[in-house]
Amino acid sequence: MSSLTLCAHGAQVPQHIDIKQLSKKVEDVVVPLPNEIFGALNKLGVVNWKEHVRSDRGTNFTERPRIALLLGTVIADGFIAVQAEDAPAVKEIGQRVLALSKGIGVGNSITPHAKAIIEAADKRDWDSVRQELDRTQNSVQQAMNEVHDEKLSQLVSLGGWLRGTEVLTSVVTKRFSVDGAELLHQPDLLSYFQTRLQAMPEFNVPIIHEIEVGLVKVKPLIDVGNARIPPEAVKKINEITTRLGDGIVTRD
Amino acid sequence: MNASVKALLRGSCWLALLVVLRPAGLASVDDAQSFALQAAEPYVKEGFQVREDYWGGDLGAGDKKAVRQQLFKGNEYWFWLGTEVERAKISVHIYDSDGKLAEQPDSWEKGHFAAAHVIPNTTGSYFIIVNIEESPEERTHWALVYGFR
Repeated sequence: MSSLTLCAHGAQVPQHIDIKQLSKKVEDVVVPLPNEIFGALNKLGVVNWKEHVRSDRGTNFTERPRIALLLGTVIADGFIAVQAEDAPAVKEIGQRVLALSKGIGVGNSITPHAKAIIEAADKRDWDSVRQELDRTQNSVQQAMNEVHDEKLSQLVSLGGWLRGTEVLTSVVTKRFSVDGAELLHQPDLLSYFQTRLQAMPEFNVPIIHEIEVGLVKVKPLIDVGNARIPPEAVKKINEITTRLGDGIVTRD
Repeated sequence: MNASVKALLRGSCWLALLVVLRPAGLASVDDAQSFALQAAEPYVKEGFQVREDYWGGDLGAGDKKAVRQQLFKGNEYWFWLGTEVERAKISVHIYDSDGKLAEQPDSWEKGHFAAAHVIPNTTGSYFIIVNIEESPEERTHWALVYGFR
């Protein structure tokens, strides 16, 4: 085994490919976790994460699409609380994730993760909390997919993305930087969510429609090609995502 | 990274043995994912957070699959590809949205493992191209996982 060497492949790899030829072979995106964006944001300067922590218990819903959206939002709140190293908030969020998972019928697969989140928060083991939050989201979505609730699974991702974008734009609005604004350059991800929402006509809840309308407004602000995203666009996206975020956590 | 890959290959012997002991018909994307995760293992010690979510499927020899992924400038990413078919030769490469090769020169491939490293110059969509270059099987399971720091 020691004689094995790495295969440097730079010379044989095509330096350029025709992306259009790939169109029929492209797999769906894996939606980035909020902490993927927060990590990039941290590298641009110190962020006061504590002011973005939100651990209130919020409203209880009975409609499954609303629970799914809220669950994604609450998991994103968990990542924010980890950034802030706020153990009590993380523990409360762990309990909330469990309650929402039960509400949507996937509580059994989440119980061990919620327990692990709370234990890791007690030890202030933030890497483990991050990993468990990722596992939680993955387990929730796997459990939903197994019972063919893929659409609810997509709403979990969407809820997390909206909350992540709300916080990203809030941070960048307060201290604008070109690199910070560039983190919003996610047009394909936005199109992905738009396509998924269009395929959910059976979810007749106002918030879903509001999100569809909101994403239409956000699209031209972030789909700017090689141009820079200006401060006014960041502020506008923050207003839209904050409004949608409020709609997700409060009753109509 | 050389030592990491050697450690990975040593560990892979045990994993390969477990997979080989299963009846061939029962091999699955989950097995391929085990190998992809094993390729990722040494990098966790270097601070990479490996995502639980992953892509997977099966391809014929010579077939390619493209995966589109949103990457963020400021982060550093590794994509790890694995298959349980030991005699397969696989590769993974990363291109930006203009189709230009975007990976770092320390990206590597070794038999049924491959990995590509990217430090994005811009935030946006990138294409990860998975290729089953050679395989004794008609269809070869593959799994792709990624990590960032």
